[in-house]
Amino acid sequence: MFKLMRKYPILNYYFTKFFAYFLTIFGALTITFFMFRLIPANPIENWLRSLEAQYSLTIDGGDAMVNSYKEKFGMTGTLWQQYVRYMYNVIFHFDLGPSFINFPRPVSELLAEALPWTMGLLAVSISISWVLGLLVGAVAAWFRDSPVSGTITNISIALSQVPAYLIALFLVLFIGYQWKLLPTRGAFDGQYAIGWNLDFIRSVARHSILPALAIVTVSLAAWILSTRSLVISNLGEDYLLYAEAKGLKSGDIMTKYALRNAMLPQATGLALTMGSMMSGQLLIEHMFVYPGLGQVMGRAIAIFDYNAMMGLIILSVVSVMTASLAVDLLLPVIDPRIRTAIKA
Amino acid sequence: MYQHVDSGERLIDIRDLRVWYRTTRGPAKAVDGVNLTINRNEVFGLAGESGCGKSTLAKGILGVIKLPGYFEGGEVDFCRKKSDSTLICEDLLKMSREQVRRMRWRDMAYIPQSAMNVLSPVARIDKQMLDGIFEHTNWSKEKARARMYECMDLVGLDKAVARMYPHELSGGMKQRVAIAAAITLTPDLIIADEPTTALDVNVQQVILQELKEIREKLKLTLIYVTHDMAVHAEMADRMGIMYAGVLMEVAPVVDTFHDPYHPYTEGLISSIPSIGGGRERMMGIPGRAPSPLEYPSGCRFHPRCPKVMAICSEEMPTLKQVGPERYVACHLHDEYTFEERANGGD
Repeated sequence: MFKLMRKYPILNYYFTKFFAYFLTIFGALTITFFMFRLIPANPIENWLRSLEAQYSLTIDGGDAMVNSYKEKFGMTGTLWQQYVRYMYNVIFHFDLGPSFINFPRPVSELLAEALPWTMGLLAVSISISWVLGLLVGAVAAWFRDSPVSGTITNISIALSQVPAYLIALFLVLFIGYQWKLLPTRGAFDGQYAIGWNLDFIRSVARHSILPALAIVTVSLAAWILSTRSLVISNLGEDYLLYAEAKGLKSGDIMTKYALRNAMLPQATGLALTMGSMMSGQLLIEHMFVYPGLGQVMGRAIAIFDYNAMMGLIILSVVSVMTASLAVDLLLPVIDPRIRTAIKA
Repeated sequence: MYQHVDSGERLIDIRDLRVWYRTTRGPAKAVDGVNLTINRNEVFGLAGESGCGKSTLAKGILGVIKLPGYFEGGEVDFCRKKSDSTLICEDLLKMSREQVRRMRWRDMAYIPQSAMNVLSPVARIDKQMLDGIFEHTNWSKEKARARMYECMDLVGLDKAVARMYPHELSGGMKQRVAIAAAITLTPDLIIADEPTTALDVNVQQVILQELKEIREKLKLTLIYVTHDMAVHAEMADRMGIMYAGVLMEVAPVVDTFHDPYHPYTEGLISSIPSIGGGRERMMGIPGRAPSPLEYPSGCRFHPRCPKVMAICSEEMPTLKQVGPERYVACHLHDEYTFEERANGGD
C-alpha cells in the first residue's frame, strides 16, 4: 500500500484527504455529544413535567417508567459510558437512537424520510442558480460598461441581501394565493400514488417550483455578483488579450478563457453552499410545509428532542464535510497546477 | 481612403494614428499622431523609453485596444496580396470588428510582451495553439496538428511540450510556444512586443537568433518592439525612434547608430554601455519622459534637448523626409532653420 502510494503521489493525496475527512467527522460527533449533555434541560423531564401538569402521572409507576425511558434514550450509566455507547451505535450501526417527536421511530428513519425532499429541492435549486449565476455573471462582467449589465448588477446587489423567506412570502401571496397558479403547501398532491408515475412526478415538480424559486432568486443573485467580480479581475489578464490577438470570437474568449479560470474558486464555493444549505432552509420549508429536514428540525426543537437534533447536526456536518471532500478530490481534475503540486 | 489597389511593396501605412486613454485628468495621449510605412519582408524595430507609446502603437495596429483606451483618429492601411498578386489596402480602423477579428492571426499575429502570463494556466499547450488555427481555417484535426508540430520544431520545441501545461514550462519555452503559435498560419505580419525582455540574456540570445532565422525562412514582416537598442542593432533592418507618442526619427538601422539625426536618438545611443575602451561616465538623457497627460508645447523633447532652439518650444516639428531613406522630426533639420543657422542667425 505504502509502496503504491509512493509510486502514485495522487493516491497519497486522496488517502490524506479521506483520513482527514473521517477524523473531522469523528471530532464533530464527539463535540456534538458533549455539547448536548451540557444543556441542563432534558426531554424526558420535560415530558414528565407535562404529564404531571395533566395529572396523568402516577407515583407508583413513575420511577420505573422514567428508568425505562432513560435506558431507551441511552441516558443511563456514566457520561463516558453514554458517550462510548452513542458513538458505537452511530458509527457501526448508523443508529442515532429513538426519536421523541415520533416515538418510538428511530431518528435515522425520520431523517432518511425527510432527506430526499430537502436534497432534491436544494440540489436542483442550487445547481440551477450556480450554472445561471456563472453565465449571467460572466456576461455582466464582459459587457460591464453597458447599461444592461449595470442593471443586472444593481438588481443582484439588492436581491442578494433580501432574505429568502421574504421572497417566499411574496411568492405565496401572489402566485399561490392571489393568482392561484401554483400549489404552496406540501411536496406533492395526496391524490396521486407515491411512486414513479407521471402524475406524481408532475405533482412533485409543481409543488417544488415556488420553494425552489425562493431559494434560486437569492442565491442566483449572490452567484452573479461573485462571478462578475471574479471575471472582472480576470479581464486584465494577459491571456485574454492574447486570445483576442488570436482573433478568437469573444464568446469563446469569455467561456473558454475568462470563465474557465474564474470557475476554480466558484467550484469550491458550490460545494460549501451545498453543504451548509442542508440545514439552512428551515424557514422556506416551514412556509411551504415542505416535508424536509427543516420540518424535522422545527419539531425537534419545539419539544427538545435530543436525538433528533443531534442527528440533524451530525447530518449537516457530514454533508458539509462530504461536499468539501468532493471538492478536494475534484480540484486536481479541474486545475492542472494542483496536480503538479501533488506530484512534487 | 478605405480601400485601394496598390502595386508597391508596402504592407502597412499608418497615417496620423492617435490612440488615447481616458483618465480622470483628461486624455492620456499614448500614441499621438504617428506616421509610418512598414515594407513587406522587413524587420522594423520600434525603440523608445518606457511609456513612450511603443506598446500602445503595436496594440493599435492589431486593433486590440481596450477601454479606457480608444482610437482618437488616424488610418492604418493594411495591404493584402490577392491571388492575382495585386495588393488590396484597407483601413483597419474603418473595417468592422468582425472583419478585423478574422484578419488576426491569419494576416497579422502577435508575440506578446509577457509570454509568462499569456497562456491560460488551466489549458494544455496544444489546445491553446490549435484554437487559433481552427478559428481561422477549416483544416482537419490531423492537418492542424501536423502544422503545430512543424512550427514547434522550427523553434526547437519537443513534441511532448504540446501535452504539457504552461506552469510546467520554463520562461524560454513559453516564449518559444508564443513564437510557434504566431507562425502557425504564416501571417504577413508579426508584431513582437518585447518578446525576450523577461528572459535571461543567454536564452534571449538563442531566441532572437531563432526568430531571425524563422523570419528569413518564412519571409515574414516583423515589427519588433523593445527599448533595448542592442537588440535592435542585431535584429532590425530599419528603426523608428518613438518619444512622447510620436516618431522622432525613422532610418535604416546602420544610419541610426552611425549617424543619428535627432538629438534624442543620439542620447539613446550614447546611453548604451560599450565593451572595451576606457571607463567613461555614461551619457544618459537628463530629465524624465513627459507624462502623456500633458506634453510640453512645441517639440515634445525640447525640455531635455541639449540642442534646443527658440522655435522648439513654439512649433512642433513634423516627421519629414531628409534623405532617401531617412525621416526626422526636428527643427535642426528644417531647411528653413538650417539656412538661418548657416547664415549665423539664431
